[in-house]
Amino acid sequence: MALLRRIAAGVLELLREIGDENAYARHLAAHGVPASPAEWRKFSDERFRAKYQRAKCC
Amino acid sequence: MPFLRRVVWIALACGAAICLGAIAFSRGERINSLWLVAAAACTYLTGYRFYGKFIAARVMALDDRRATPAERLENGHDFVPTNKWILFGHHFAAIAGPGPLVGPVIAAQFGYLPGTLWIIIGAVLAGAVQDFVVLFASMRRDGKSLGQMAREEIGKVGGFVALITVLMIMIVLLAVVALVVVNALVGSPWGTFTIAATMPVAVFMGLYLRYWRPGKVLECSAIGFLLVLASVFGGQWVAGSSFAPIFTLSAMTLAIAIIIYGFLASALPVWLLLAPRDYLSTFVKLGVIGMLAIGIFVVRPDLQMPAISRFVDGTGPVLAGKIFPFCFITIACGAVSGFHALISSGTTPKMIMRETHATQIGYGSMLLEGFVAIMAMIAACSLDPGVYFAVNSPAGIVGKTADAAVKTISGWGFPVTVQQMADMAHHAGEVTLFGRTGGAPSLALGMAHIFARGGGGDAVLGFWYHFAIMFEALFILTIIDAGTRVGRFMLQDLLGHVWKPLGRTSWMPGVLGASAFIVIGWGYFLIQGVRDPLGGINSLWPLFGIANQLLAAVALSVTTTILLKMHGPKLMWITCIPLVGLVVVTFAAAYQKIWSPIPRIGFLSQAAQLEAMGSASAGVRAQIFNNRLDAVVCGTFMLLVAIILLDSLRLWFGIIWGTADRRVAESPFVATQLNPEEA
Repeated sequence: MALLRRIAAGVLELLREIGDENAYARHLAAHGVPASPAEWRKFSDERFRAKYQRAKCC
Repeated sequence: MPFLRRVVWIALACGAAICLGAIAFSRGERINSLWLVAAAACTYLTGYRFYGKFIAARVMALDDRRATPAERLENGHDFVPTNKWILFGHHFAAIAGPGPLVGPVIAAQFGYLPGTLWIIIGAVLAGAVQDFVVLFASMRRDGKSLGQMAREEIGKVGGFVALITVLMIMIVLLAVVALVVVNALVGSPWGTFTIAATMPVAVFMGLYLRYWRPGKVLECSAIGFLLVLASVFGGQWVAGSSFAPIFTLSAMTLAIAIIIYGFLASALPVWLLLAPRDYLSTFVKLGVIGMLAIGIFVVRPDLQMPAISRFVDGTGPVLAGKIFPFCFITIACGAVSGFHALISSGTTPKMIMRETHATQIGYGSMLLEGFVAIMAMIAACSLDPGVYFAVNSPAGIVGKTADAAVKTISGWGFPVTVQQMADMAHHAGEVTLFGRTGGAPSLALGMAHIFARGGGGDAVLGFWYHFAIMFEALFILTIIDAGTRVGRFMLQDLLGHVWKPLGRTSWMPGVLGASAFIVIGWGYFLIQGVRDPLGGINSLWPLFGIANQLLAAVALSVTTTILLKMHGPKLMWITCIPLVGLVVVTFAAAYQKIWSPIPRIGFLSQAAQLEAMGSASAGVRAQIFNNRLDAVVCGTFMLLVAIILLDSLRLWFGIIWGTADRRVAESPFVATQLNPEEA
């Protein structure tokens, strides 16, 4: 059971990383600001600008 | 190594040999798909443990005392030390595209054996090595890109040529994946409605994430997934309603719609359509790949396709050309992919926490991708071969009517009947499944059969078929809009050297002009594919395969240069052998695609044949021009890569003779400050 719980936690962590939620949390921590719509927009604009200048794999 | 562990590894190595032997020597009777799964699993585990670890220890000398760029340059954005399992998943999600799914399906025309062997052996000795060494090289150079490394390690010519090569490959790639979607949706109101509905769903997700619940990506994606699932059910209703004609589109209409979509998606704000679709498609992709793996284990389908089909002689209806070299370039990303080098020198090297994690992330992820390719091969080969060929053969080869098609295909020794195809289409919720070239429909059919056999049978076949089509189209469309955008940035980067304002990504005329140029570029090849009486895939997939493998040759040239500078000639074989193999295969394929006297293979001979027919119609003239254009594109790929190879050879001989600079451009050693527990 403990193993299953660890796997589920790992999968959730992976999904949060792929979904940029972890990156947003790091951004908030690094800048010492609370989550807000304006802060998300600032973060996501910057992130998407960098992300979509790179080739996607075939 | 402890005795028990040694026994386990010997058993795994023996298992690999037995399973490979079983699939290689089995003739005349059906084998179970688990033989392929076991052969791949045992070989990949053994390859990872011995070859991967050998490269890590002896060639790269990975050192956990050395701080990685993620630690030294940590900025919370790009450079972030990340848990190895999370980064493994992240890297795998980035490298897994339609290539390893569609390529093996097309290569199944040669039988299951050639493609399977190349996926297993090629991934261990070439694909994983390339990804791993590029990742290592980039990690030791502060996360530099392949182009930057080419410029620094080989010279300015290599760097510039690499940029042009990537841009050209991107245009061909976008055209071929768009053609796969067109062929999957043509004449299918259910599929077309489902895919059309994903666009407002993505826009809704974009607005949800931007204004209503900012930052809640997982929550938003879960809602998006439920809506997309609802659109699959909605598509079934639409197909049986009076709205069906609206969504029953011809190939040309679909192609134009996708071209317009590509332009709009690349010009619209990223947060509105592209980013939410990207999140959703990545989650769906990982989920469906996992489901397929479970499905294969539960259902354990027998392979219906023979080990080696009669089409190894080059007369294949899906793709013309002999097993050598065409099987190798058809499989593409399932065994080795040049595009992976762009990912391995992109985000991933900036996130590695410890150097030794690179083995699992670089080498291991490619092996997992090989596993995905094996699953695609199983899905295709578990179909009745007659059905497989009826779905994948263009009307120009097997005949325009159902009767003509089944007669031709049955005549090849793969019996199939009109009634069988009609029943199959009925259960799949389609009007017809004849001539649905491109690989996506037959992969969807194979997957649907596996899922339906897991529970529900024929009653749920239609749902699973369209679910699989939705899954394929969703992430292909993400590649199209993201690729158009990336292509636009690359073009602006190049044009900026000619006239500075053209390079500014904030200058609207430059943005629109460059977007239009890229869209027209891939759109032209897409229209060409749609008009091609041989189905388009016959011309475009080899062009894409050649281009992708040539990009791998560029990456392997760069890494061979680096290994030569690090160790002298004694260890350069690790990347040099796959490089030689790829150069032989791709140059042989490219040469045949240009010069083969067989019209179905050679672009120039096909143009000459059409010219000799004497027809002056605009359609035939366009076909003649397109064939010549494809020959020029193919030749340009060869020329560009030949320039890089010659530039590399000049440097290699210089290093060996002691006349060239041997210094590597690695970042200096800095000791890590991370605790061992943090890894």
